[in-house]
Amino acid sequence: MTRRLFEMQVAELVVLIVLAPLGLGCEKSVALPQARESSEKGPASIYVVNFPLEDFAAKMAPAGAGVVFPTPEGIDPAFWKPPAETVEEYQRASLILLNGAGYARWTGFATLPRSRTVITSEGCRERFLEREDSVRHRHGPDSQHVHTGLALNTWLDLRLAACQASRIRDALLARFPEDIGSISARFGTLERDLLALDERLREVGLALDGRTLLASHPVYAYLADAYGLVIAPLHLEPEHPLNREDWITLDEMLARHPSKWMLWEGVPSEATIDGLADRGVIPVLFTPAARRPPEGDFIAAMKANTERLECATGVRACR
Amino acid sequence: MTDSVYLAWRYLRHHRAKTLLIVLSLAVFLALPLVMGTLSRATQRSLLSRAEETPLLLGKTGSSLDLVVEVLYFELKSVDSVTVADMNAVDETGLALAIPIRTGLKARGFPVVGTSLDYFAYRRLRTAEGRGLAILGECVVGSAAAEALSLQPGDALLTSPSTLFDLAGVYPLKLRVVGVLEPTFGPDDRAVFVDLKTAWVAEGLGHGHQDLAGADPDVVLERQSDTVTANAKLLQHNEITESNIDGFHFHGDASAYPVTAIIPVARDEKAAVLLRGRFVDEPTRQLVRPAQVVDSLNKQVFRFERILEVVVWTVGAATAVMFALVVALSWKLRADEVRTMTRLGCSRWKAAQILGSEIALMIVAGILLAGILGVGIVEYGERWLQGLILRSS
Repeated sequence: MTRRLFEMQVAELVVLIVLAPLGLGCEKSVALPQARESSEKGPASIYVVNFPLEDFAAKMAPAGAGVVFPTPEGIDPAFWKPPAETVEEYQRASLILLNGAGYARWTGFATLPRSRTVITSEGCRERFLEREDSVRHRHGPDSQHVHTGLALNTWLDLRLAACQASRIRDALLARFPEDIGSISARFGTLERDLLALDERLREVGLALDGRTLLASHPVYAYLADAYGLVIAPLHLEPEHPLNREDWITLDEMLARHPSKWMLWEGVPSEATIDGLADRGVIPVLFTPAARRPPEGDFIAAMKANTERLECATGVRACR
Repeated sequence: MTDSVYLAWRYLRHHRAKTLLIVLSLAVFLALPLVMGTLSRATQRSLLSRAEETPLLLGKTGSSLDLVVEVLYFELKSVDSVTVADMNAVDETGLALAIPIRTGLKARGFPVVGTSLDYFAYRRLRTAEGRGLAILGECVVGSAAAEALSLQPGDALLTSPSTLFDLAGVYPLKLRVVGVLEPTFGPDDRAVFVDLKTAWVAEGLGHGHQDLAGADPDVVLERQSDTVTANAKLLQHNEITESNIDGFHFHGDASAYPVTAIIPVARDEKAAVLLRGRFVDEPTRQLVRPAQVVDSLNKQVFRFERILEVVVWTVGAATAVMFALVVALSWKLRADEVRTMTRLGCSRWKAAQILGSEIALMIVAGILLAGILGVGIVEYGERWLQGLILRSS
């Protein structure tokens, strides 16, 4: 090796020795954990799982807080399974309002932030009702049961609905403490309206005095339990005319539970109305109000339900 | 001066074997105490930093060190669990948010950690690829685990049986990888994160199977009007998919379900103090401060390190003496060579420069090699040493 080449190699080595520590030290100092994105940046968003919660939240939330009920139209929110992208939207919300009592089964399989999730019916009732058609199961004689069929529409018990509204109020006050006055005032109005309707439904229950009402589906458990109504449910779809088997089932039910009235979640077909009239049964539209109606709020929907029931049962003069 | 260095370089290059041996000895002598000290301090700092980021930890009464090691560093110590009721109790105090941690399972050698979404915000974990957890059966993998297992979003990962000899144990659960986290250079990089409920399913506390209402008589022990009792023939799903997710459920009281420990994230310092006060006399639960626990562990490591330092420096001193002896003997053996150089016109000072340059070059080479060894050991050895400390704690 020539001396010149040797000197060049020494020079390269010196440069390497000086620069190497700078390169080796860089990686770790750059890769620091980044500041987390705050879900509180930007306008507040409140995600809900059904129309009553949407209505209550929208009435009480301060201006600027968006209430989002993302269930597509035409789909029952209780059984909707949102895609992962929609679950991520819920995760980013400032506040997530769940119904509880097994409503919106998908929430039991989704990962939602506990810190921003409120189960609105929690603590409002000691035990939630089971559906009449639920089947329990267990594995082996000594294992524990699992209950797969809780009744869903808790808000049909309007006192329970008022309790749910109070949970929403508490969550909003924790999130927007500066708006305590307006939130509390709006809750007061909502509670008054709910309890007024509750009183009217209690009168209906007392007036009926144990007489049975049929129902198109087992969705009125909380209505029955709260107001002392005896409801015998079937499994009939309002939009489809009843077929021969359906009429046989209905007649068998009437034989066991004679009734003059039948609650329907939607307007039954003309053929169904005629068939019921032949049997002396008055169809009464009583929407569970889980989905957003074409117009009006939850109070308007329940008020219309109450008026129709009062009219059909003769508790109050029809309008 | 350059001439002396050149001649010294040529001499060392000619006697490669001897030069290499001496340089290696010097490198080990120089690297060992420095690396040991750096490694130990870095490990202690890393352990303490993780513990300081977690001011409080709630678990069942027992070894606080085991609790901290299992929950913060995911080294399984089989600690007893608390329950969901404890989580709810912490939330109900209004003083803190309860973040659950469920450990106990592994997936291809990496710890599976069941937790809630709040854990990711708390630890500032962000996804580098894919997305976060959304639905039962999904997992998000730490960067080191993803790299080691060559995982990316869309892949599947099987949980491992909890023990090799558990004949009645649970079948592995096939997890869907939906995201890979950004590196944090901590224990989270080697973890596989799942939702708490997914962890329970993987443990067998939750499961999915065919609808028993219309099940084959072979799998039914007893059928009453509203209750069906199934036998062990009932096949359970080992993967959670969109088509079978509705069938997954949990038996029994949800509040009794196990959680290895809870990280209470207090609202503020006052809330933390109040929360600690509530658990002072609690006989079956302990609320520990991980920083204190790790600090006492570090003190024990420090004591051991001091003893090891004495040994290393003693060996180092012996190496230095051996080096000096080798150089002195070498010079004595090269007396004729030096006489030849001076007869050729090289002054005694020049000859001393050449010999001195040989020593200097060997020392520089030893330092360089020590540096390379040190960087390599610190880069990969910190995790090894941390694991050694935690496993043997």
